[in-house]
Order: sequence, then C-alpha cells, then structure tokens
Amino acid sequence: MSKIGVYICHCGENIAGAVDIAEVKKYAGGLPGVALVRDYLFMCSDPGQDLIKQDIKDGLVDRVVVAACTPRTHEPIFRKAVEDAGLNRYLFEMANIRDQDSWAHWHDKQGATEKAKKLIASAVAKAALLEPLTDRYVDVTKAALVVGGGVAGMFAALDLANMGYKVYLVEKKPSIGGNMAKLDKTFPTNDCSACILTPVMVQVGTHPNITLLTYSEVEAVDGSIGNFRVKVRRRQTYIEWDKCTGCGACVEACPAKVPDEFNEGMSNRKAIYIEFPQAVPKKAVVDIAHCLNCAKRTFGTQPRIHSKTGEPILAPCEKACPTGACDRSLSYNPDGEIIELNVGTIIVATGYKVMDKAPFKEYSPQSPNVLTAMQLERLLSATGPTEGEFKRPSDGKKPKTVAFISCVGSRDKNHHPYCSKVCCMYMLKEARLIKEKYPETNVYIFFIDVRTGGKDFEEYYTYCRDLGIKIVRGRVGAVDELAGDRLRVRAYDVDMAAPVELEADLVVLATAIEPSPGLEELGRRLGITCGSEGFLKEVHTKLYPVETPVKGIYIAGCAQGPKDIPESVSQARAAAAAAAVPLTAGKVLVEPLISEIDAEKCSGCGLCVPLCPYSAIGMVQHGDKLRAKIDPALCAGCGVCAAACPSRAITLHGFTTAQIEAQIEALTFSGGDLNV
Amino acid sequence: MSNAAEAVPEVINLSAGEKGFVDEIKALGATHILDCIQCAKCAAACPMALAGFPFFNKRVIQAILLGLKEMLLDDTSIWACQSCNRCTEVCPRKVNPFEVMQAMRRVAVREFALPTLAIEGIKSLYDVGHAVYLAQAHENRVKVGLPQKPPSTVAHPTALRELQALLEQTALSDLGIIPMGKSGVKESCEV
Repeated sequence: MSKIGVYICHCGENIAGAVDIAEVKKYAGGLPGVALVRDYLFMCSDPGQDLIKQDIKDGLVDRVVVAACTPRTHEPIFRKAVEDAGLNRYLFEMANIRDQDSWAHWHDKQGATEKAKKLIASAVAKAALLEPLTDRYVDVTKAALVVGGGVAGMFAALDLANMGYKVYLVEKKPSIGGNMAKLDKTFPTNDCSACILTPVMVQVGTHPNITLLTYSEVEAVDGSIGNFRVKVRRRQTYIEWDKCTGCGACVEACPAKVPDEFNEGMSNRKAIYIEFPQAVPKKAVVDIAHCLNCAKRTFGTQPRIHSKTGEPILAPCEKACPTGACDRSLSYNPDGEIIELNVGTIIVATGYKVMDKAPFKEYSPQSPNVLTAMQLERLLSATGPTEGEFKRPSDGKKPKTVAFISCVGSRDKNHHPYCSKVCCMYMLKEARLIKEKYPETNVYIFFIDVRTGGKDFEEYYTYCRDLGIKIVRGRVGAVDELAGDRLRVRAYDVDMAAPVELEADLVVLATAIEPSPGLEELGRRLGITCGSEGFLKEVHTKLYPVETPVKGIYIAGCAQGPKDIPESVSQARAAAAAAAVPLTAGKVLVEPLISEIDAEKCSGCGLCVPLCPYSAIGMVQHGDKLRAKIDPALCAGCGVCAAACPSRAITLHGFTTAQIEAQIEALTFSGGDLNV
Repeated sequence: MSNAAEAVPEVINLSAGEKGFVDEIKALGATHILDCIQCAKCAAACPMALAGFPFFNKRVIQAILLGLKEMLLDDTSIWACQSCNRCTEVCPRKVNPFEVMQAMRRVAVREFALPTLAIEGIKSLYDVGHAVYLAQAHENRVKVGLPQKPPSTVAHPTALRELQALLEQTALSDLGIIPMGKSGVKESCEV
C-alpha cells in the first residue's frame, strides 16, 4: 500500500479565504492510501517544501499530492522538491484548488470547500497508481530560426549570432526592416528612424552567422525543442539575386505601375522593384501579377528575333540590366523553392499591421485627404512620396488645419477591444513634427484618453501641449466631405460640454495595431495559440513573457501584442537570451510523459497515424505484421493517440488509463454533491 | 442653470477659434496655461462651478486653448470668480487657474465686455475705495454704536486719493469705462 502525503497550501488568502482548510484536511486524512495530511501558508516557500522533503526522508510518505495553485507554474518546483528528497519526481501529483477552485468560486465558500475535497480525492486516487518514470535528454542543434525581419527579429537574430550561434532570419518581404523602416521619426527622442535602423539592417545583412532568407515564409515546422525541422518557402523573385547588384536600372525601365506598399499606397512603384532605397538585401524582385511581359517576354521563353536587325527583342528590364540578373529566358518555378532548416530554437517576431481606414465609413475613408497615421508617416518622411514635403494628397497644397482622431478601431468592440498602446504617442509625434516644421498649422488631436505611460513620454506630451497643439477630449463622431476638398470634423468636447465642429484640410486616423495577416495560421503551424485579440499568447504574462506553450519557441515584439520600439527591442533581446539557453546547454530534458505503443496489443489499424499532430507515429514491421510505433523524440505527450486507440494499445505515461479512470471514479462516485 | 443653456451655443465651431489667443492670454499673466491637461481638480474645488456658472476655471481654460474668445466675452461667468484661490492651491500642474481668470478679465475689460455689475463695482472702488459699499448702512452703523463710515479708505480722504491716483495709472483710465480724474494727481502717486 502506498503512503500518500497530502499537502494543502493556503496560498495566503488565495485559497484559505474561500476554502475551509481544516475541513478539507480532515477529509483528506480519511482517503484511502493517505498516510498524512499537512497544510501550510505557502507550500511553495522553502519551509513549505521542507515539510515535504522531511516527510519523505523520514519514510512517512512515498507519494506526494500538493493541493495548491496550478501545475503550470508550480509543478516543476514541487517535482524538484520530491526528487531532492530522494523520491522519483514523477511520484508527484498536483490538485489545482486555486485557479480552478478558490478563485473561480470565491463567493461560494461551501461549494469551494466541497470542490477542493473532490479535486484532492481525485489527485490521491491517481497518486496511488503513479509509477516512477525516467527523464531523457536530447541533443540540441546549435542553430536558431527567427521569423520576421523587423526591428524585433533583427535584434533577436543579432544577439544570437553574436553569441556564436547560426541564425536563419526569415522575412516575408523582399527586404528586412519591417514597419520601423517606414517611420519618419521615432518617439520619445525624435530620432530619425532610418538613421538608427539602417546600420542595424546592414549588420544583420553582413553578419557571418546570419543567413538572411527574405521574400520567404515558414511553410511547415515539425520536431521539438532542440531539433526543429523547418520548411521555408522562398518565393520566386524572377531575378537571379546572385547577379543582381541593386543598381535599379531595371526599375527605371519598367513601364508598369502598381500602388507602392512601402508608401502605404501613396505613390506607385514599378512591377519590377526594389522595396525601398535602403533595402537589405538591395535586390530587385518581379511582381509577377503586375508584370506586363513587355515585348511578349514571358518568363521561360526565348526572345523573338528582330526581322531587320537579326537581334533578339528583349523586354526593357532585361535590356537595362547590366549584369544579366534579369534573364527572362530562364524558366523559373513560380512556386519558388523549399529550403529545409534544422534548428534548436525558434523566435517568432512577425510584427504588426496598421489597420486600414476603409471600415470607418463615418470618417469619409474615400477622401484622399483622410489618411491613416502610417500614410502620414510616409508623407512626412524624406524617403516618402513627397520627399518629406507636407502636401495634402488631393491638390498638393500645404494643409492649414490638421485633425488627428485617436482610437480608430482600438478600444472598439466592433473592431479591436484592446488599446493599441502606441497611437497616443505616434499622434503626438506626428503632430509635433508638423507643428515644429510649420508652426502656423492648426493641429487638433481628438482623444478619449491620452496614454503616455513610459519613460520620458509624459515630458513629450507636455512639450507637445506647449507647442500649442490643441487636444480635445471626445472621440470624433463624423468626418464629412465639404466642397473644396475640405473636411468637417464633428465631435463632442467633453471639457467644454458641447458639440464641436472643425473644418480641416487633412484628417489623420490613428488606426489600430493589428496582428500580421496570417499570424494565426503561422501559430497553428508552430503549435502556438493566439489570444482573443489575435496576437500570439505567451505562457505567463508576468514571469514567462517570451515563452510559448511549445518548448523551444519564443515570441518577441508586436507578434505578442502592441508595443513601441524600445519595448520590442527589449523583448527581442530577452527572447534571444531565452532561446540561447537550450543552445548553450547543448541538451534538453524531455519529460517521459509521452505515449508508447504495446506492439502486442496493436491491431495495426493505423488510426493513430494521421491523428498525431506531431507526425510522431509511423507503421513499422513487427514480426509479420505492420504495427504503429511512436518516435519518442517527436512525441509531445498530447494523448490524442491514446484516446483514439480502439485496442487500448497506447499508454500515455503519467496519464495511464488506470490513473485517469481512478481520477474519474474519485470525482464521481465518492459521494456528496459537487457544486461546480 | 438656465443661464448656462443660453450661454452655450448648440455647436461650437472650432474653425472660428481665434488663433494666437492663447499667446495673448499667456502674455497677460496666465504663463502656464498650456500645462493644463483638463484633469478638473480645479473645477472640483471651485465655488463658481458649484454655483452653476457655465465658465468656471477648467472650462475657461479649455475655451481659451481652443481660441473661443467671443464665447467667453458673451458670458459673464468670469466675473463671478471670488478669488478664493483654491484652484491655484490644488492644481497639480501649477497652471494657476486664478491667473487665467484674471488674464481673461483683462481681455474682457479691454473689449468692454464687462457686466454692469462690474462697472458699478469699479466705479464704487474709485469713488469710495470699496467694490461693494452700502451707503445705506451708515444709519445702522450709528445705531449700533459704530462710526458712520468703516475705518478704511472710505473714511480717509488721503488714502482714497492715493487709491484713485493708482487707478488712474491703470489701463482702466485709458478705457474710460468710468469717469476718473478726481484725485487731481496725474503723473505721480504722491498726494
């Protein structure tokens, strides 16, 4: 008979405030196999853990149940305590009587107490059937993958590369730089964005340990911490990048015009283009959807020969190219190429997208003079469509009155219920840039809250007010188009307690920060979930902010939620540090809580093979028949196979059928109503 | 308050706001007006706001920031400030709302946008040294054994002349809102 020790934690008032500890203690003492029950104010503290260790050392207990907060944060701590006392670490079970009980049933103390009893009974029933398991270690591939080449991805890649690890940096666009490359100035110091970012881009581009894979996307990921196998699809550029020098001659020759994404559609680019002047790598790509195939030069065809000169008739781009990088006779694979990478850890830093203005019908999005803040950013930028000259799009005149509207799509249940965090600051920044350059401009900011939390931010806000930027509390209700390209902004000034209206030449919408398109799909490929707002979810907001539920995969920057540049960089470097830990250790612990197939019981039906989300199951020859077999290096212990197996041939160690059934029995048949 | 309803137009046209009005107000003494973030602490302490005047400290500041000069001039609220200075004591941003009120009054006086009551007050101040003075109280004072006039400027012709000389040196005299020139002292305060 096992000797189970039950340790009930008060968690200060967190548990004891709702659960009658004395009553639960008495109840637990009567459960089968329980040798002793103790309670303590903080079981996870040193003295709390010492209680457990001492009982094990004294031979009083050989199985441990801790009824406390949550295994998510505390299971490793107690497992270690059990192990330190000389017991196998898997002879431990936790009952979650805080997150799932006292917190949830705070106002029903009686019910919470009853539920605590049930949860402990269930844990005790399982504990009686626990068996010792052995940890395994796997070797780690000393390379990392960073997804996303914005400021966060670049810093994460640089830090890892500087530590001596091989880094693959995958970026969807032709160049790294991300959204920051589009910005004119950056708050709170008003540094020129390009001036501080370009050197970093160059460092990344030239670092011997970094392999830059731009114009590429992660297609599939399998494996686990230490040994991820990643398939990256490098999209077809239709240009031989080895030969391309980025001279731009092809771009000048190309006659096709397409709205320029880099300038937020405020100008046109060519069908063959270099993303922006400071691009890294500075290489041209062909936007095949908009290529006009001049001179009937589709890719993969030989040029026609001029009837008179006998010369081949080339397209303007290939004629212009001095290095032969633009060769339309080559038959390119439109699907690009698949590159396979082996890495030990992965950092996801896919950044954000600025919300479009189109959904906000009340703000006249059809007007060329209603811009998103990112469009204004391009308009103010020296590399932008007007080379930094402040002109309004409709007639090229300098706006006399500019109105900013905050929280467009943010804090709005129709769009994004969260605060986008950076809009107040970027509105103040843009307002300030306008006001400093053209002091005679009337600048109004309509807001519902000005949120300037951060080092030096309040000072920045005060300075903007001092410049005479008028700040009106009250979200704008409507922007109407008037004759003469004027716009009428209608709002309610809460401070004046009156409706107000303003005639403006330019209206700027501070649209929300959204997750990058396709983030959810990428998350699915990586096994990381997104929160309700669509950003990737970290394991623990406070203590594990860069970790994801998938070991070995980390997140940084706006992929996790709206952030400004300093925060993105801090988090990126934190993620790099976290991702370097397994690389430095060279081996990682793999918990033995994985599935195993009893080949004798297996009928070879193969049902489990397609169900496994980690592709860990294959069919192998066993005697004269094919039987399923699980690769322990790939198994993540999710248990899908064990639940589905019709022959009950699969055991998920740590969660055996007998253990689960004992838990269910304890929860359902041991009497008393469970008030949940 | 019905007064408030009349004073506030239905829709405020921000485009009609006077440019540079804030700078003028700053020059007239409200040096730190741009530091105001409309937290409303001053309004919470203001007896004017409690009494229902539409343009109490916080709202005066916002109207000035928006350049709504005409709107302020059309309303007599600013003259209701009792100079209790609580706003200045409690302001967390050191805006000194009382100074804003004073600066706005300076503008109003210049524009002759002052209520009759204020003109009477100024006249009374010039004539007897009290903005509010009840000559009818003389009898009652005598009845209860007090001197007919209180022992202040009103009872001291020299002091009154000094005060009048001072007032004659101010912008009020140039504006000609009330008749001045009784003191007979034009260029100096010596009487």
